[in-house]
Amino acid sequence: MSFIAKIKDKLFKKVGDKMEEAAIMADKPVEAAPAEAAPAGAPVIVDSPPPQLVSTSAVFPIELKAILPGAPPGGKIKFAHYWGAGCGGCDVSMLDIHEKILTVNDMADVVFWPIAVDGKVKDLEALDDGEITVTLFNGAVRNSENEHMLKLLRQKSTILVAYGACAMWGGMPGLANLHNTEEIKKYVYTQTPTMKAFQDTQDSPVIPQEVYQAPEGELHIPTLYDTVLAADDVVDIDYYVPGCPPQQTSINVLLGALVGHVYHGAALPPKGTIIGAAEKSLCEECPRKKESRRITKVVEPYEIDVDPDQCLMDQGIICMGPATRAGCGSPCTQAGQPCRGCYGPTGAVSEQGASMLTAVASLFPVLDNDALIDEDEIIDIMSQVKDPLGYFYQFTLAKSLIKRAVKEKGGK
Amino acid sequence: MSEFDPKIIAFCCNWCSYAGADGAGVARLQMPTNFRIIRTMCSARVDPEHILRSLAKGADGVIVLGCHPADCHYIGGNYRARRRMALLRFVLEEYGFDPKRLKLEWVSASEGEKFQKTMTEFIDDIKGLGPNPIKEGA
Repeated sequence: MSFIAKIKDKLFKKVGDKMEEAAIMADKPVEAAPAEAAPAGAPVIVDSPPPQLVSTSAVFPIELKAILPGAPPGGKIKFAHYWGAGCGGCDVSMLDIHEKILTVNDMADVVFWPIAVDGKVKDLEALDDGEITVTLFNGAVRNSENEHMLKLLRQKSTILVAYGACAMWGGMPGLANLHNTEEIKKYVYTQTPTMKAFQDTQDSPVIPQEVYQAPEGELHIPTLYDTVLAADDVVDIDYYVPGCPPQQTSINVLLGALVGHVYHGAALPPKGTIIGAAEKSLCEECPRKKESRRITKVVEPYEIDVDPDQCLMDQGIICMGPATRAGCGSPCTQAGQPCRGCYGPTGAVSEQGASMLTAVASLFPVLDNDALIDEDEIIDIMSQVKDPLGYFYQFTLAKSLIKRAVKEKGGK
Repeated sequence: MSEFDPKIIAFCCNWCSYAGADGAGVARLQMPTNFRIIRTMCSARVDPEHILRSLAKGADGVIVLGCHPADCHYIGGNYRARRRMALLRFVLEEYGFDPKRLKLEWVSASEGEKFQKTMTEFIDDIKGLGPNPIKEGA
């Protein structure tokens, strides 16, 4: 008995009779499609979605509840997961769904997911166009390898999902847009005293070259781009799942939609849907009590005794909640840490940083002598907010209106 | 190359500076014509996103004109705007813009002359700074 079969056996026993009648269950039964439209191999995106799937304002009604009975009627679909410029957190976040990972195995053959299964690029290249039913791409596009793989996966996949904050808006790697490649290379390889490479070669720094002539032949490394891009700057993206990494609830909604489609022929959500997230801000689902107090001093959580029930902004901690999309279940604020904004801007705005800037500026009270104080005093008050660009645009800089640093050239 | 002809976006509060601009026009005060006025109900109605979008689309400078302190039609809108612009200027500086490309000034409904003076000075400042660096080939 294989390892997976053993785990499954155990799970079925534990759940007992409840598992008999059905295997996957959604919150609401999914309307089955006519028999002739039953999915065969690779399902296609359906143009007209059923109304229960259209809304992006609430979490999708279909949510994965239990493990599946076996392969889908039309045979297993193909699944791939790959990373661009990211930390790898998204790549393993799929495992946060615990035993439901078996669902993925029942439903799909994992053809390419380097962190979990052995797959080579040449295997991927050998597939037909559109043969992979669904590909999750995480990470930003920062070098030529990221771009090549993203384009290849787009070609081979029917559904391509931008998975995680980096794929959606460039994420934290996007902050590199405040510098250019030369500055970054120079800093990392010649000016960082804690780097071993710096200590060893201080007098003759070694900077990686794209092409290197080794005795065995010519070696290449990918070209680092000046500007970090989001996945949809490079290819067409079907769905988005935000988060750093996407939270369990969002992944379940994504898998639920897939399972409904693959097993019951239910239509997929409309193209471009942000899956597993709400339209409103995180404050809507954060349990902390907000009194809209004014603050005079910005603090970090370690500097004060954080009240477990009070709004963090009321306590002087800058929390990205007011400018961030809900859907994650507010795990950070519940643990006493401010929201970092990884679910991106809310449905009504395009600039997360700009809406956060407005929220923070309004935190400071209008003083009794406000009519009389001069501009320098205002600058003093506002300069308590350190690195506003890095803080407010932590995940969305590469997709912001300005996108990257500019250089003033001066007038003539 | 011809002389640099800046494009300025001016956000004017409905209750004071928009009327001030009107007054400047009625009084036939002479000033450069490089600016486009967008009327808002209050200087606090100007979202940082509006300013960033103006710059992203190639405006060389953005000026926000509101009521004098203690004069706001909505009591405290101008104080809010003042804090917001101060913070936004830090953001612009981090992006690499000269923060002088964003200006906040108070012009009341009766100050046509101040409107003329403010706009003339701001346009001169922007001419000194040169074109918006976000523009291709600028």
